[in-house]
Amino acid sequence: MAEISSGLVVETDQLTKIYQNRQIALNDVTLKLEPGSVLGLLGHNGAGKTTLLRLILGLHCPTAGWVRLFGQKMTPNAASLRCRIGYIPTNPQFPSGMTPITYLDYIARLFGLPAEARKPRLASLIRAVDLLGASGDRIENFSNGMIARLAVATSLINEPDLLIWDEPTLGLDPEARRSMLELIKTLARDKTLIIASHNLSDIDEVCNHAAVLSHGHLIYFGSLQDLKGRMKRNHYEFELEGDQKAITRALQALKGMSDFKFVNLKQRRLEIRMSEEINNTNALANIFMTFADSKVTVISIRSVGMQTEQAFLDLVEEEASRGFTRAYKNAA
Amino acid sequence: MDAITAIAPTRVRINRLLPYWAVFQADLKATFNSWIYRVWLLLSLGVLVGYLLYRFGARHIAGMIQSAPDTMGDLMHWVIYGSLTLIIAITAGAICSERGSMADSILCRGISRYQYFLGKWHARLVLILGTFFVKNILAMIGAYFLLHSEAITIHGSLVAMLVVASMLVFVITFGVSVSAMSSNTLVSIAVVWMTIYGGGFLLAQLPSIIPSPERALQALPNVIKGFYDWNALSRTMLISLGVSLGTAMVGMFYFARRDV
Repeated sequence: MAEISSGLVVETDQLTKIYQNRQIALNDVTLKLEPGSVLGLLGHNGAGKTTLLRLILGLHCPTAGWVRLFGQKMTPNAASLRCRIGYIPTNPQFPSGMTPITYLDYIARLFGLPAEARKPRLASLIRAVDLLGASGDRIENFSNGMIARLAVATSLINEPDLLIWDEPTLGLDPEARRSMLELIKTLARDKTLIIASHNLSDIDEVCNHAAVLSHGHLIYFGSLQDLKGRMKRNHYEFELEGDQKAITRALQALKGMSDFKFVNLKQRRLEIRMSEEINNTNALANIFMTFADSKVTVISIRSVGMQTEQAFLDLVEEEASRGFTRAYKNAA
Repeated sequence: MDAITAIAPTRVRINRLLPYWAVFQADLKATFNSWIYRVWLLLSLGVLVGYLLYRFGARHIAGMIQSAPDTMGDLMHWVIYGSLTLIIAITAGAICSERGSMADSILCRGISRYQYFLGKWHARLVLILGTFFVKNILAMIGAYFLLHSEAITIHGSLVAMLVVASMLVFVITFGVSVSAMSSNTLVSIAVVWMTIYGGGFLLAQLPSIIPSPERALQALPNVIKGFYDWNALSRTMLISLGVSLGTAMVGMFYFARRDV
């Protein structure tokens, strides 16, 4: 990996984008990304993910604030900075009439790679993404999976230090998606990645950092582990074994307790949602004591809701509930 | 796709001119293959050949004699007027028609906005002016042999083509520049069309001391015969080229600061 002067790969400060004085797409986003990070960019549709990526790439100009890449300010004319980035847009578009060879050659020339460097490089990449058999075919006849693989090759042709992939698994079949996730994990060993995705299980699997955008506002930026740590652990599912009467007795006892908002039994599977203000350790202890008193055996227990997804939803819900106070940082 | 990581990274010396050259070549090829360029080429060739044959027939069958310079002057004058709409359509969509995903996939690479603009502008200039020169040289040769006129002079023909070419440079440059500043191809075409035709009409209404495209086109038969005032013509051409350069600078600097 190339040496990075400021120590940061991406740095934004109070980044704001307002389109034509009508739409605030991004508001006061400050983040710092260190080398080797794999950042998952989360947010609903219209949250500002793509705007943030386009600002980082210099495709859009900030209304306020700035973006620095590798210690240098990004501008629409910062071609040398973009030489260190590999980008995959949401729905990659390719010029009609081109083949993977001509397209990759064209893109490599856009990076200023001379023929002696780009020809071997594009040949290796075409082989690596399994497009050798289709290397002479027109791109417009390609399937979604082949398009995705070509987009990956395109984003790697310049040997970038930073990869920015917008929805890389969108529209892929399970096998291609798995292959893409494995590739991200492998690339993450020596590159910095920013992955924007709606698919939270993908983020959960490959990222070590997360940034959550809500209505253009950065509501979380930090490690994925910390994000999961903020999750409300109040929803559990127990698989039970024992006499049906005993299970019903335990159910009645639990329903009588004020700690629980929701208790439901379905075919020996007991679902419990706790009140948010209580300590979940004490509540779980009460549940186990009730089971023990009723002579019910617990086969398994699991926290309901995919962890990152739940944490993300909690965060967005919390942000929405803050109302006016969100305008004041001290109140946050 | 694991094989990707097995590819050894290599550090190479970047050629800074290559991105410009890549855009230039790609745009030249794409424009050449576009239906609108082919329509322009076929229509203008058809008119050139048709008019020359008509004049040839009129001379030999009906005895209606028109000199070759007058025929060529007519052709350049009216073919240019007729072609302008198509040339505007070819140039005014150069950049704005690629806004969005297609521009994304190019401008996110190691290319500056200046290089992209220059590549597009130069490609359209080379293709349209190249086509114009080839067509008119062929037409001049055709007129010379078909109409047996000694009145056509080589230097006059060359100057006449340069005069028209300098006007075309402005039309092409203005089209590409408006395209760089606009977000919508139809709006861009409408703006260029109204400005070029409206501006040409207004200039024609001004006193003759002020150069106008219409007056320059009307003088073409005499220029082809070799009767021209080089100082006046060169001033007209320089004004046209200067205005073109200024327009291109405005378009390029605006494009360099806008969202794509």
